[in-house]
Formats: sequence, C-alpha cells, structure tokens
Amino acid sequence: MAETGRLTQSAGTAPVSAVMLLRAAIILAVLAAWELLARSGWLYRDVVPPLETIVRALANLLSDPEFYHHLAVTLGEIAAALAIGGLSGLTAGIVLGANRFLAKAFEPYLYYLGPTPKIIFFPVLIMWFGLGSESKVALGTLSCFFPVALSVAAGMRGIDKVLIRVGDSFRASRWQMVLKIYLPAMRHPIINGVRLGLGVALIGVLLAETKLSSAGIGFLIIQAYSVFDMPRMYAMLIVLFVLAIGANALVGRLGGLDSIRRT
Amino acid sequence: MAAAQPKSEPILVVNDIVVRYETAEGPIVAVDEVSFIVRPGEFLSVIGPSGCGKSSLFNVIGGLLGQHQGTVRVAGETVTGPHKAIGMVFQEESTFPWRNVTDNVAFPLELVGLDRARRAERAKHFISLVGLDGFEKRYPGELSGGMRQRVSLARTLASEPKILLMDEPFAALDEQTRLLLGDKVLQIQQQLQQTMLLITHNITEAVQMSDRILVMTYRPGKVKRIVDIDLPRPRTSEIVTSEAFGRYVAEIWNDLREEASRGMKDEEAYALRHHGTAHE
Amino acid sequence: MSKAASGKRSDLPPILTGVGAVAVFLLICEALIRAGVISQFIVPPPSEIFGSFYRLFTEEHIVRRFFFTTGESLTASIMVAVFGIALGVVIQRYRLLQQACETWVAAFAAAPVVLAYPLFMVIFGRNALTIIVMGFVSGLPPVTLKTIEGISGTRKVLVNVGRSFNLNATQQFWKILFPAAMPTIFVGLRLGLIFALINIVGTEFLINFGGLGQLIEDLAERYDLAGTYSAICFVILVSVLFFMALEKIERWLRPVD
Repeated sequence: MAETGRLTQSAGTAPVSAVMLLRAAIILAVLAAWELLARSGWLYRDVVPPLETIVRALANLLSDPEFYHHLAVTLGEIAAALAIGGLSGLTAGIVLGANRFLAKAFEPYLYYLGPTPKIIFFPVLIMWFGLGSESKVALGTLSCFFPVALSVAAGMRGIDKVLIRVGDSFRASRWQMVLKIYLPAMRHPIINGVRLGLGVALIGVLLAETKLSSAGIGFLIIQAYSVFDMPRMYAMLIVLFVLAIGANALVGRLGGLDSIRRT
Repeated sequence: MAAAQPKSEPILVVNDIVVRYETAEGPIVAVDEVSFIVRPGEFLSVIGPSGCGKSSLFNVIGGLLGQHQGTVRVAGETVTGPHKAIGMVFQEESTFPWRNVTDNVAFPLELVGLDRARRAERAKHFISLVGLDGFEKRYPGELSGGMRQRVSLARTLASEPKILLMDEPFAALDEQTRLLLGDKVLQIQQQLQQTMLLITHNITEAVQMSDRILVMTYRPGKVKRIVDIDLPRPRTSEIVTSEAFGRYVAEIWNDLREEASRGMKDEEAYALRHHGTAHE
Repeated sequence: MSKAASGKRSDLPPILTGVGAVAVFLLICEALIRAGVISQFIVPPPSEIFGSFYRLFTEEHIVRRFFFTTGESLTASIMVAVFGIALGVVIQRYRLLQQACETWVAAFAAAPVVLAYPLFMVIFGRNALTIIVMGFVSGLPPVTLKTIEGISGTRKVLVNVGRSFNLNATQQFWKILFPAAMPTIFVGLRLGLIFALINIVGTEFLINFGGLGQLIEDLAERYDLAGTYSAICFVILVSVLFFMALEKIERWLRPVD
C-alpha cells in the first residue's frame, strides 16, 4: 500500500487490549451514571428507568409474538421501499451518469432536493395511498431514491474510461456493457448508495409509522409513549438502533469484502 | 526465419487518414493524410513525438474514433467500428479489478458466448503464453504493473485477432521490465506469427521489436519516413547491444529529434500563453 | 457530491430543458386534474397550489413561523458547531481515545436518532427544546467525525515543518493542524447543519409544534389541501435555499481545492 504521509500513519497504533479496556470502561461509566440518575429520583418517575427495568422490558418484548408481527410489518415495508426506491434510483443514476445532457438538465434537481425533510410529504402520501402500509412504503421509497440515484450517477462518471474502451474494442453489446462492465466497476458507489438509501428508507418508514399507523415498530413506539410505558419504549429503541446499525455495518462489510482494488 | 512473407496481400490498409479536432484555440489537424500498409506476420511500429497524433491514429484504426477522413481496411473489410480482426491493447491500466486473471483473459470469449469450461481452457493457454502460469486465480490488485499489462495482452490475444494493435502498452513500466516484456512479445509474435502494429515513442523499443518503423512528424502528423529494420530474427533484447541496432536508433533519433524539439517549443509557447490557468 | 452543471454558457440548453420539462409536467398535471382524470380532492391543480402561497403569508403567518424555525436551527447549529468540533478535537488528541471512540461516533452517525423523538418529548416536553435537542443530536456526529478526519489527515510534511520550527504542542495544533483541517471540518459542518435542519423541520411536523414543520401538520389536519401542498413546497424551497447558501459559504471559505 503506498505511503500516504498522513499524520495517523506516523506513530504506531495502541494495543488492542488497551482499546478494549477503554471501551469497556466508558460503557461501564455510562451505565453507572444512568443507574445513579435513575435511582436518584431527580427526573420525573420513569423517564430514566433503572437498568434492570429496561432489561426486563427488553426480555418481555423479545418474547412477545406481537412484537415479531409488528417487526415483520416494518421490515417488509423497509424492504419494499429499498427495492422500489433502490431500483428506480439505480436506473435514474445509470441514465444520468451515461448522458451528460440529461445529467446537466435534471441532476441538479436531485442534488438539491435530496437533503430535504421527506416526512413532510406524508400527509400527501396518505391522501394518495391510504392509511395502510402503502403510504409508509411510499415515503421510504421517496427517501431512498435520492441517495441511490446520486451515488450511482457519480459512480457512472467515475468509472475508469479505459474500461469502457476495452468493452467497446471487444464489441460488447449495450446489455453486456451494463452487466459486465458498468455495474461491476460501480460496485463501491452502488453499495454506498444502498447503505445510505437503507438508512433513510428505514427512518422514513418508521417515522411514518409513528405518525399514523396501526402496525409496525413505529406504531408500537408511539403506543408505548401514549401510555407512558417508558421501559418498553427504551427496549424498542434499543432493538431498533441495534438493527439499524447492524444493517448499516453489514452492507458496509459487503462493500469491504471486495478488497480487491488496484493500487 | 524470414521477417514477413514478401509481397503478400496486406492485412491492413490505412488510406489518407485525416483527423481534426476543435480546440479552444481553433481547429487543429492531428493526423494529416497518413497512409501505410501492414503485411501478414509483420511487426510495424509507428513512432513519433508526443503530439504527433499517434493515439488518434490508434483510435481510428481500432474503430473507436469515427470522426475522420480516409479509410481503414482490414482483411478486405472497411473499418467502421471496432472490428473482429483487430485486437487493441491500451496504454492505461485496463484489467478489470473485480475479475481474476482467468476471468479477465476469458472476457472476449464470454462475450461471444463460449461455455465456462472451454473459456477456462482457452484462457489458460493464453495466460501461459504471456508467462503467467500459476496466477490464474489471482486478482489484478495482487499483481505488478508489468504483470497486469501481460494480462491485458493475454485478454486481447484470446480474441485471436488478425492484427494486434498496441498503444504504448509498456509506457508506464520501468526500462528493464519493458525490455523483458518486449522479449515476451517477440516470443509470442514468433509463436503465433501474429501481425502487430505498435504505437510508441520509445526508439529502442521500436527498433527492438519491428520489421519496419514508420516515423511521424509533429502535428500535423504526417509520415516522415519508413525505415526497414534488417535485424535478424528470432530476436531478443540482447540485440540492443549490437552495432547495427545502435545505427538504427541513431538514424531514427535523427529524424525524430527535429520533430520532438518542435513539439517542446510548442508546449512552452502554449504554457506561456495560458499562464495562470490549470492545464488539464 | 458532484454537481453536473458547471455554469458555463454551453450549459444553457440542458438547464432550459430541465426547467422546461418541469413546466411541461406541471401543465400536464393541471390539465389532468381539471379534466377530472385525477381527483382534485386528492391533488389540487398546480395553479391553485401557487395561488395558496399568498394565503400562507397573510393568514398562516409563515414569515413568523419561518423565523421560529430559523431560530431553532440557529441555536442547534451553534451547539453542533461548538460541541461537535470540540468533541472531535478532544477525541483526536488522544490516540487511544480515537481508536476506541471513532467507530462509535460513526455508528451514531448512521443511527436513526430522530426515531427517539417520542423519548425526547417525554424528557423535554412538547416544545422547542425537544426540537433543538433533536437537531443538535443529529447534527453532532458528522461534525465530530469530519473534525477527527481533518486533523488526522494533516499531511505529515506540514507537521514536520512545524517541528522544524520547534513549535510546542499547543502552537502546533493552532497554527498547523487546525487550519489544515479546516476544509474537512467545513464539509462536516455542512453535513451536520443539513442533518440538523432536516430533523428540526421533521420533528416540528411530528410533534406538531414549532414553525414551518408544524404548519404543514396543521394545514393537513384542517384538510386544507392546496394549503398543505403549497406549505410543503415552501418548506422544500427554504430547505433547498439553505443548502445552496451553505454550499456558497463553504466554497467562499475555501477557494483553493
């Protein structure tokens, strides 16, 4: 690997065990502070429940079949949003990346509309798709489309031009070019776009569920809120965060699996 | 062994190629009425300074550049796009980083629908030909620059073109690697009786490998001279020590020097005119 | 984050095509709705939506709401900048700490923090504080990450220049590391501020309190279709302008790239 001459490369890295120790220490400190705060009675009632209560609520949650039903609903919605938003984003990205003119005409819209709060579209989506899962999937799709399209478009432009000339010199058909050259050459931007898209699809679907829904994890969270069942809410947030961070790491790992890079 | 069959039907006919480009400073003529032929089994080098239109010529012959005047005919057919009979090896790194060596070399075979088993078998043959036995399952990222160029070469050879067209394939390599790879190419040419057209700016390389050398002028690129290289075949890189070799190099440098210094003056003038802007 | 348009004269045809396509799309919608193909009780005709903009200003006090949201955003932004950079500096300063915590911060950046808004509501109440905290928490990770990245990424040769002048650690930091990290830190600030704004407006909508986000919720509850649509358009417009402004500032602050 070529020397980059950056600051971090100079000194050696600290031993792994020291890092582990520090992490454990930090976690313990946070948990201890939490427990102190919980038992101090300083904050209103259950706002900061004792750890034991949270763990118990978590156990209850994970052994509750109802929970898994709602989880399935949410996961299904996220998957659908990712599929629709991802595929349409991929297509749009390929078109914009391949055609300079179209890119200049339309990509700025995607670029500037991307970082906007999509949840505000929810009332409109409810009008169009109703109160069921469809409106949640629609919001997830809307959120997911932008990062995927933009990543893929940039990825297309970043493809090493010589690889395209290789394909041309071997007279590859358009379809062969896309499947055998464009897509593999873009695997990193695509995976990155999917990672971002998954993140925002997840948020979109769940926020929509918290706003107006009768099923799904978001619904359960608001339900817990409305009856002030804080331990249950904490438990669900923990599950949610673990899932979200886990999924993100998984997709990231998929991208890193392909560590076959040129110098 | 004779260099090339005398007076046989030429395999490549390049006729009055003219290439023009529009630049910010007005139209420039990159290639100006260049014509030549290549006979089967022959090794022809096109040499010239930077800016003589070599790469444009490469792209025209390879069918990747359609905006030109004049015609190119290979094996009797006019070239209107990348042609089956012409194989191209590019100057830049062109191996697919996501495919291993076998899959890289088998790429052209995959495109025409050959089944997996036969693809692997044929790829192995060409991988062996370029001297990369044992590296079939490796990825380009694990190989050196010279090895990667060999993979690109094997890939193009796997499509069994009638004429191999190479654009400074060893330009990015160090001198020693280049000489040794030159040997490899000569070996392959011998074995396959492959017709080769090499674009280069390296005189030693051209004299080492070629039967004939076409010297081009600086822009607008014209054919300045065609030199017959009467060095014995089979050849190896040892030939660079011979007296005859030295004379050919001197002769060609004589022709080139004038063109190269014209090129340099031109670049300096350009940089002076465009002071302050990033020259991409 | 590449921009397709570069602003040269030759870019006019595609830009006009883009604008034209949008205009044509709106006209088609208008026609379809007026013809009854699309129900006007689900999608009001674009003309009516544009017409409602006026109402937003006169009846819905959108200007006042805008300033309210802006105030929340400003507060959150300042907090994000101060704490984010400070945290990043501290983490980067101690190698062990950086190795322990950097991945955690990255995980936090990927976490759907905004989903904890019901929790924040319980802790802080259904008010502006919740909204500001939400903006702060979502904007913090990218700023911290980029600060760490920027300082860590200082080219060794620059550090050596400082050493060759016998700078002590503090001088080294303020005169070399921090300035060298500025471009990256600004990228982080841009990201953080964008996340903050998105989550602030989103939270306003979700908890039905605040300025612009709350307006949309309000209009939707009142079944004011045209109003809802035009409010959404207005908020999107504000968001886009905010993003553009941030980009301009970032480019102005680092002209050499």
